[in-house]
Amino acid sequence: MSYYLVIFAAGFAGSFHCIGMCGGFACALGRDPRGRAVTAERHLLYNTGRLTSYCFMGVLAGALGEAVASSHGMGNPLQNTPLDTAQRLLAIAAGLLMIVMGLQFFGLLQSFHRVVNIGFGGTTLAATFRNLLSSESRAAPIAFGVFNGFLPCPLVYAFVAQAASTAASLTGFLVMLAFGLGTFPAMLMMGGLGQVLTPVWRQRGVWLAGSFILVLGIITLGRGLLPLDSHMAHAFAPGSG
Amino acid sequence: MSKGGNHLCSHCSLPIGIRGMERTLNGEECTFCCYGCCIAYQVKIGRSEEWDAAWLLIRFGVGAFLTMNIMLISLLLYAGTFGGADAWLLPWIHLLLWAFATPALIILGEPYFRETWIQAKQGRITASALVVLGVGAAYAYSVFATIEGSEQIYFDTATMVLMLFTLGSYIEAAGRAKAARDLEPLLAAESECATLADEGAETRRPVRDIKPGMVVSVKPGERVPVDGVVVEGESHTDEAVITGESRQIAKGVGSTVIAGSMNLDGPLLVRCTGAGSATRWAQICRSVRDALSRRSPIQRLADRVVGVSVPIVLVLGGLTVAYWSQTIPFDRALLIGLAVLVVACPCAVGLAAPLATSLGIGRLARSGCLVRDAGTLEALARTKVIAFDKTGTLTSGRPRIVGIESEGAGTEEVLARAAGLERQSEHGLARAVTAAAAARSIAPVEASNIRAVPGRGIRGQTGGEPVAAGSGAFMRDLGFTLAPALAERARSMEESGYSVIYVGWAGRVHAVMSLDDTLHPEARATIEALRRLGLRVVLLTGDLAPAARRIAAMVGIEDVQAGLSPEAKQEALARYHAKDEIVAMVGDGLNDGPVLAKADVGIAVGSATDLARETAALVLPKDGLWILPWAITVARKGWGITLSNLMWAFGYNLIALVLAMAGVLQPVLAAAVMASSSLLLVVNSLRLSQIPDPEPLESPGKPAAVEPDFVRHGVGVRPIARAAVERG
Repeated sequence: MSYYLVIFAAGFAGSFHCIGMCGGFACALGRDPRGRAVTAERHLLYNTGRLTSYCFMGVLAGALGEAVASSHGMGNPLQNTPLDTAQRLLAIAAGLLMIVMGLQFFGLLQSFHRVVNIGFGGTTLAATFRNLLSSESRAAPIAFGVFNGFLPCPLVYAFVAQAASTAASLTGFLVMLAFGLGTFPAMLMMGGLGQVLTPVWRQRGVWLAGSFILVLGIITLGRGLLPLDSHMAHAFAPGSG
Repeated sequence: MSKGGNHLCSHCSLPIGIRGMERTLNGEECTFCCYGCCIAYQVKIGRSEEWDAAWLLIRFGVGAFLTMNIMLISLLLYAGTFGGADAWLLPWIHLLLWAFATPALIILGEPYFRETWIQAKQGRITASALVVLGVGAAYAYSVFATIEGSEQIYFDTATMVLMLFTLGSYIEAAGRAKAARDLEPLLAAESECATLADEGAETRRPVRDIKPGMVVSVKPGERVPVDGVVVEGESHTDEAVITGESRQIAKGVGSTVIAGSMNLDGPLLVRCTGAGSATRWAQICRSVRDALSRRSPIQRLADRVVGVSVPIVLVLGGLTVAYWSQTIPFDRALLIGLAVLVVACPCAVGLAAPLATSLGIGRLARSGCLVRDAGTLEALARTKVIAFDKTGTLTSGRPRIVGIESEGAGTEEVLARAAGLERQSEHGLARAVTAAAAARSIAPVEASNIRAVPGRGIRGQTGGEPVAAGSGAFMRDLGFTLAPALAERARSMEESGYSVIYVGWAGRVHAVMSLDDTLHPEARATIEALRRLGLRVVLLTGDLAPAARRIAAMVGIEDVQAGLSPEAKQEALARYHAKDEIVAMVGDGLNDGPVLAKADVGIAVGSATDLARETAALVLPKDGLWILPWAITVARKGWGITLSNLMWAFGYNLIALVLAMAGVLQPVLAAAVMASSSLLLVVNSLRLSQIPDPEPLESPGKPAAVEPDFVRHGVGVRPIARAAVERG
């Protein structure tokens, strides 16, 4: 459980980073003139859509990790330990990826972000999605949340990598669920918080999120590198939660 | 809009096949070649106040939301999360999945259902029928399974396949539109607006409404919409689309600007000199549109294969299910059948040829080369023999003096006297004489009583004595004496194919001027470049053999057939054609139209009217012979890409089909790979736009030297042809 709490906390801290990009969207969703209840509903739907995208990616990543991990050591029950070679490799890869992402939050390794950002008409899409927000339709926020979830974001990639390293669809799902829920408070309050929060605090939030990701990445890397019975590796393994 | 306008996709500018879809979006009639383009177009033009685009995105968002939830739960199910103690939850989860799947199916599948229905009413089965059938079967089976309480449900497969197909076709269409971005300005010209500057007020008017005398304003970065003269402002323009050569040309007040050229860095006010719809630019745009809307042979073949393949795949799918259901449970067999239907969906095949040819046509058009249709590119790429006409193609058709043999008089005197006579004449040879005199700053000697004798020459009087310039017969008629050595020289020059002008005065022929057609400066380099491309170059000309051979030697053509009538030229082309060699014929398009039409690829230099008359299939810009090797390179690359696209598309479909029938390929995976395959074709085709701009083969130097190449006093024979070339 503690593992997911850490991720929740990381999501919470990281959501201050979101204010830059996704916060803009959330603000655009804004206040509905039809009243507070409708406004709340819109924001809730938007975040549900976002959460669904995250969870979907988490499950996929987990399943993918599982497929990679179980493709080795199959048919040999002796080798089928929770941390066989493939899973170790997976953990190392995910750990490294997370460390890279984490460093990015401190303004290092900027070029990586550019690599990630190359996509088909990403900016056009984002602009169009923003316009989607002004639609009166009740379903619009949920649709928008879904798309938003897939917009390139290093924070999300880092946790998807983490999800993959758990090598099971359920744990992958839970990782992204915890992360997504962690981003809820900030994003829900975005309307007001965005203005109140000074850039200094926002920067601190980003650093905090970076630290979380860095630590998680190092732990994940450790799970791959350290001997099987390492105390630290087990303490934070998703299975222990 | 031209008649071909209806046949191009509003989004990606590719020709629309038989499966085109029409939608009215925001009050505008739009046609799309595929569903993906329909989505991508709406996303692109989508603005918040426009309901269509927003509605489309909402639908996809909600569809994705439902699908992802289904997939999420299903993956957890597969992972055995709800096994053991939680097993009692299963029926409820199945019900939940059903509840999610039904709206997802309706939302995401509606366009496919609709297309299938519309086509089915016309008795056609299209690729979307494969999707509908496969997905419908998976859904229906899962509904029964849920009601029966069975564990095997495939709602995830049904909705995920739809989702991936939609997403895949969107991504593909977005990529395709990106690829075809170059075409946009070429197609937009007809609907383009010009900014009319009228007493300070600026109004936007369609180009076709612009009349001569109107003043239009052209901002930097805009294309000049009309032919005209600059009345205000200074800037640089790029006329690549007209001349083929991309370079900056400075423009100031009084400079002429050409429609279609790009205004680079300063605002201009341009007074229009011709109707907006009559510019070469407008003509280029019309021809590009026409070319795009005609299908190439290979494209037709691919379309036919696609048409045939759909029913075959349906049968194969049925057989696969029947076969597998004997050995494994029916639901598994059904899933394998679904994978077969999905993976065989021939989207990529339909995309393989048109994208590459469209890009090729657009690429050529932007450098001023007009192509009649997609088939031309194909033929040009496969051309083995390239035949040239001489006059007006390799040569300028404007003679110039290449040698003066004189006796008893200086060259200057000869030129001065001859020019005094010839400046009164409009004859082509006469102009060569005056030009030569002017080039050497020789003042013509005043002549009086000038009379031109048609077919013979011209005579007059200077200072009381008769002067004449013309043929040898003319000199004899006048009773001028001719020194034997000079006569011998003249005869040998005439035998070598030169035109000869005798100049005489005071009862005696004083000089013999030999004239030759001017070689285009880039002709030799062009022929060399064509050779390097592995083409066999021949010269087919109606001129006499000596002249033809000399020109051929200058440009480096070994295979010469001279003295051919137009019919004989056509026969010569037919002979090559009979040897299964694809022959291109290059002419000036003015007097060899029928011959060009007879060749597999008729190439006209600078005469776009031939395109309309269908005599030429490729029209190069004026004086644009040098661009021909580049055009062939583009055509070859396009053809190579088309072939590799087709091979990939067919190969991929076949291999995937076999895998799916063997039960190896999951339907969801099949759908994902299907989309990525289309994307790969787009990326592959994009290579075509990476071809660098054409570059002049060598610096043109002095275009047509008017100075005689050699001047000799007395008698002597010296070859002069080589010298002429080396100077060129």
